[in-house]
Amino acid sequence: MVRLSTMGRQKRVRAIAALARKVREYWAQKQRPRDSERYALDYETMRRPGSGKKLPVLAHRDIRTEIRLFQHLHRLPLFGIGRLLTKKSWLLAYDEPCYWTISKVKVDYTAQDMDHGKAWGVLTFRGKTEDGVKEIDKVMYHDWRLVPKHEEEDFKRFTPVLETKVRYVPYPPLLRAMILAQREKSGEPIDGDLMIDLERNRHFPKDYFKNLDLKKQAEGTPV
Amino acid sequence: MLSVFKTEVDKFLISRGIKGYGERAAAKRCLLSAAYLDSQKWDQRKKDPQNLAELAALMDITYEKKLPVSSLTIARFIDNISSREEVEQAEYYIYKFRHSPNCWYLRDWTIHSWIRQCLKYDARDKALHTVKNQVQYGIFPDNFTFNLLMDTYIKEDDLTNALAVVIEVMWQEAFDEQCIQLLSLYVLQKYLHSKPELKLEDERNLGAALLLVGLKQNNTVGFSSQLLGLALLGKVELAKGIRAVYTRMPLIWTPGYLSRALNVMENTVEATNGKMLCKEAVDAMATILEIAACGTSESMVTDESQETKQDAAFDDNDDDDNEKSKLADYLNKFKKLYSELESFGKIEAESLLTLTDKLVQENLPSSEAGEILNYEKRLEKWEEERAVLIQREKELREKARQEREARQAAKATI
Repeated sequence: MVRLSTMGRQKRVRAIAALARKVREYWAQKQRPRDSERYALDYETMRRPGSGKKLPVLAHRDIRTEIRLFQHLHRLPLFGIGRLLTKKSWLLAYDEPCYWTISKVKVDYTAQDMDHGKAWGVLTFRGKTEDGVKEIDKVMYHDWRLVPKHEEEDFKRFTPVLETKVRYVPYPPLLRAMILAQREKSGEPIDGDLMIDLERNRHFPKDYFKNLDLKKQAEGTPV
Repeated sequence: MLSVFKTEVDKFLISRGIKGYGERAAAKRCLLSAAYLDSQKWDQRKKDPQNLAELAALMDITYEKKLPVSSLTIARFIDNISSREEVEQAEYYIYKFRHSPNCWYLRDWTIHSWIRQCLKYDARDKALHTVKNQVQYGIFPDNFTFNLLMDTYIKEDDLTNALAVVIEVMWQEAFDEQCIQLLSLYVLQKYLHSKPELKLEDERNLGAALLLVGLKQNNTVGFSSQLLGLALLGKVELAKGIRAVYTRMPLIWTPGYLSRALNVMENTVEATNGKMLCKEAVDAMATILEIAACGTSESMVTDESQETKQDAAFDDNDDDDNEKSKLADYLNKFKKLYSELESFGKIEAESLLTLTDKLVQENLPSSEAGEILNYEKRLEKWEEERAVLIQREKELREKARQEREARQAAKATI
């Protein structure tokens, strides 16, 4: 009986609690840890003082030898807008040029040496330039290299190799035999054209069929 | 006062066509002409007199309230400096501006104005200090400003400081204009001529500067600088490894600087437009190769014992080992190319210093004229920008004032 009455009544408006929540959000926003505090690192113990987490062991050598993105950008005029920056991991992994072209920079001004912040740019990955400016991720990784101006042309040079896309691939022999046997049993015609379609739609998101109907409506009638 | 008088006299004499005035005047070696160093155009800008104390108070209040300071405020502060103490105060405010949210917006004309004011009030060391610590002060001068700063040091034969300026230009990769390239070549050659004691770090900086300048100059001096620069960088590479060469430098990380030096020699052999290589540069390359070759053959035993201690998967060590093993090949290739150069008559016997002097004498006046015109155009653009900023500030102030009045009126009616 008591439960019914509380379910029927509206929630009590608590003005002071709402105000307190707003004030707490405001202070959280004002006193949020800056990039320079979040990504500060003790190079002896390889721990972040902010969170106490230790960085992965395989990265220790890179952390001691390489530098972060903003440690390159802070000594360039205009924080390196228009310059090309690569990552050492890309240099080792791929032959084709992969680099970010910086277009916008937001520095964390609380850092002593201005070596933290966010940057945006255009990515060229394995020779293919994407369109659109994106935020550069892994800015705080100790992995970045600056391409000198006199080597930019050389670095960007890329002759694309035509990739042949394979769409139809033959079935493995046992499976092919099983399928043909099943077809024979059920009386379907056996034609030799039994191939796996690699581009068949295997994953249907939740709204796939809804969008199908919408697309049909949008297309309208053929004539 | 005296400087104004001097520039007037200079202009008079130059207008009367008395050539070589620069060299006859005093025993100082003047490279840039008086027309270039003339600050008349700069002084003719529209003045914006402000009280420095007021501006300082305004900036302090804005910083305390954690609001952003506009670039116009700092520009006004620097424009209105009138004494040496105020230079020190301005340095502090530039530092604060760099560590504020608006650090990206420090204008070109503010930086130019700062250097000019430092030179005017005899605070040259301050200017150099701020340029050296460009990370903390945000001072990234353009070519014209660098030229002004370098010239004051060249005039007084202060080669260490002039070289420091050239190294800063190298780090900014700002060897774009002809004038700065010529001035830097002059400073570099003079410094090398005085045969100073060079640590490996200095050699690396010198090598990088020589390489970057040499790449822009398409003549004997340029090619010789490239060769010398690459040879020095190769020496550092052999001594300390490729990582020591490219870390925090505008240089590429692929190993093999000595092979690149040999490529330069090959290009000169194949070049058809009378470009030669200086004997000095080629000799320097020879000495470096020979010393390195002797050094590695002696220390091969000790090297192997050290290598086993380090990581097996250390790619850099592999690169360095490759380089050391290729030294014998480099030496042979060098001897072959040297004989080819001699047979084609492409070894220039004159010293690099005299060649650089000649180059500077020939090309500096013509390139100066172009740069002065560019500078004047840029001054106009800067004036427009400044006017736009002042206009915007006025509008913002008007809007803020109106809003405040509206709020006060609303409060009064309640």
